[in-house]
Amino acid sequence: MTLTIEMLFPEIANLHGDNANIDYLARCLPDARVIRTGLNETPAFVSRKVDLVYLGPLTESGQIRAIARLAPHKSRIDELIQTGTHFLFTHNAMECLGSRIVNAEMKYDIPGVGIFDFSTEVGMFERYTGKVMGSFEGTSQPIVGYKSQFSMVSSSPEIPGFMATSRGIGRNPTTHVEGVRRENFVGTSLIGPVLLMNPHLTEWLLSSLVPSREPQLALSEFAVAAYDARLREFQDTKMWSEFERVTG
Amino acid sequence: MTEPTVPTPGKRHGPRYGLRALAALWLGKCAGTILRFLGREGTHVPGRIALWVYPNLLGVIARPDTVIVVTGTNGKTTTTNLLADALHTLGKRVSTNRAGSNLRDGIVATLINGVTVWGRCRSDVAVLEMDERSALRVLPQLAPDIVVCTNLTRDSIKRNAHPEYIAWILSSAISPATTLVLNSDDLITASLGSDANARHFFGVDPTGNEPREPGGSAVDAAICPRCDERLDWIFWRFNHIGRVRCPACDFRSPVADVRVSPIDRLSGLRSLTIDSGTVGIRLTNESVVNIYNVAAVAATLDVLNVAPQKIGSVVESLTPPTSRFAEETVGGVRLVRLLTKGLVGVAVSRAFADIVSVPGRKIVLLAIDETTDRFDGVENTAWTYDADYEYLADPSISAIYVGGIRRHDQALRLALAGVDSNRIVLVESETRGADLVPLGEVDVVFNLHSNHNAGPTGDVVHRKLRQRLMEKSS
Repeated sequence: MTLTIEMLFPEIANLHGDNANIDYLARCLPDARVIRTGLNETPAFVSRKVDLVYLGPLTESGQIRAIARLAPHKSRIDELIQTGTHFLFTHNAMECLGSRIVNAEMKYDIPGVGIFDFSTEVGMFERYTGKVMGSFEGTSQPIVGYKSQFSMVSSSPEIPGFMATSRGIGRNPTTHVEGVRRENFVGTSLIGPVLLMNPHLTEWLLSSLVPSREPQLALSEFAVAAYDARLREFQDTKMWSEFERVTG
Repeated sequence: MTEPTVPTPGKRHGPRYGLRALAALWLGKCAGTILRFLGREGTHVPGRIALWVYPNLLGVIARPDTVIVVTGTNGKTTTTNLLADALHTLGKRVSTNRAGSNLRDGIVATLINGVTVWGRCRSDVAVLEMDERSALRVLPQLAPDIVVCTNLTRDSIKRNAHPEYIAWILSSAISPATTLVLNSDDLITASLGSDANARHFFGVDPTGNEPREPGGSAVDAAICPRCDERLDWIFWRFNHIGRVRCPACDFRSPVADVRVSPIDRLSGLRSLTIDSGTVGIRLTNESVVNIYNVAAVAATLDVLNVAPQKIGSVVESLTPPTSRFAEETVGGVRLVRLLTKGLVGVAVSRAFADIVSVPGRKIVLLAIDETTDRFDGVENTAWTYDADYEYLADPSISAIYVGGIRRHDQALRLALAGVDSNRIVLVESETRGADLVPLGEVDVVFNLHSNHNAGPTGDVVHRKLRQRLMEKSS
């Protein structure tokens, strides 16, 4: 069976090296087909079966463009999420699917695609950088990663998170809930890229995409060694700063 | 997204100090004198003290008739120095922060140094390098006549986010009365300011060997700003530097007012075209980065109405830094030390491209893990995936020795880039690789390190390799 992975708008959604998530997935799934859908093209998921839809980090104007392209397909995205299609939205891509994005410095307040009922506040002079470690129900080992972002997502406790942080902040500094998880939709603000930094998460995703096959992790020796080294360090409380703690 | 609010220019031709401003000026001058006496040049401290006493000093201090600010991601220091040298050669009295900080404090310190004790200006022109993120704290009060922007490419993910963000900061701070000198081969830089700004563009003509498709992971201007269509590249140089046109509308890269041509193989000269006139020039540093810097200087001199012939002779006389390489040959093997700007993927990509451009069989010792990042602030290693490690998959590189705390991450990045796992050698220590690399079948050994480990790693590795090569040759 050939899997189809759709990368949305790679000409604008390509910041912070995060598209390596898909390079890595393609190495793990050598027979998968990767479609790169341009901004002025209709997404493949609209009219055909796609196994994984990926959207990576965007600039602020890129978010606005992505919302404009995805909003007409809101009901289709909703349907695909409900029926178990896999989605991976990293960094600020997830924010496009919320109810609105407010950016006071750039003077806009725009509706998002409206799949999820959370809002995003963007502070152009308040860039947050921090580490994150926490648990994800699909894996027994902790997820690790980094945040470097202008935006904070509202707490919205009714929306299930991707992970619960044990160290580092979640959707914002007042919550341990990080990202969004609904069926096979995974949204996370973590960069790293998250699949390369968390080989067990990639294994979970591979198993979920192809349940009939034992997951084959590419470059596993390096990926696992890098993960183990980072985890050891992240488990040391001295490595965490005050601003990386959840408050309130 | 709305257009940014631009500040009102406030051109000043004479001092208009109050008592507090004068006190700030004097304290700044005293601090500068003491620091010079202590042998500390180019510090920002006089500016910081003066601004503490009078925060609006930048808005009232006497300035020369012409104030030029030079900013951009890469090349701003070199361009500032070259421009200051050029203006000095042309007989101008120049104030510049050549040795000082490019933040607001450093700029104020330079201006304090450029006025008399009674606050009267002593120079004809100020050439001020400015950190691009400082624009909102500098430009509205300084109101420069000219802002030169060399380029805006990806920089630190943590500090600078992405080039569009930096362009927004700059455009928010630039007065409509300021003339902009911009890189026409960089669409993000070329978009700075508003329609009200006078713009003068510089560019470097294609060599004919450059690809028409972009490569690498950091292409930040890939779509038409008017219709979002994917742009066609007339030529692509690096990152998003090159010339483009839109296949769907009439948008294209701006035409450069000042252009430098490829080298003429017969005469060894490049053509510097300024408006309609062309002069032949010979440059001492032929790297493309330096040619852009020279083009920026020439375009600025053109804005200042210097005659093209004069510009040609002045830029020929400039002596930019020749190379980022430090190399020596020991026992027939080239030993090349290459400092990389870690945490910045595009800078690391350029270093990797440099390695591949050197002919011969190569071995690389890689110690660009930013360990200080872990303790000075907060770590974020995402930049390694913003760098084009793919260059290192070149078959001319027989082995890559990776040392340091994050060596496994580096190895993973290399392997994902297509480097054969058998060619990746992991060594716990950053310097131990220098004891292990086989020196028999190699023409060039590269010692790559970052700023933070230049001493403990770069120096040690270099010393060990030199020693081994000397022993081998004897």
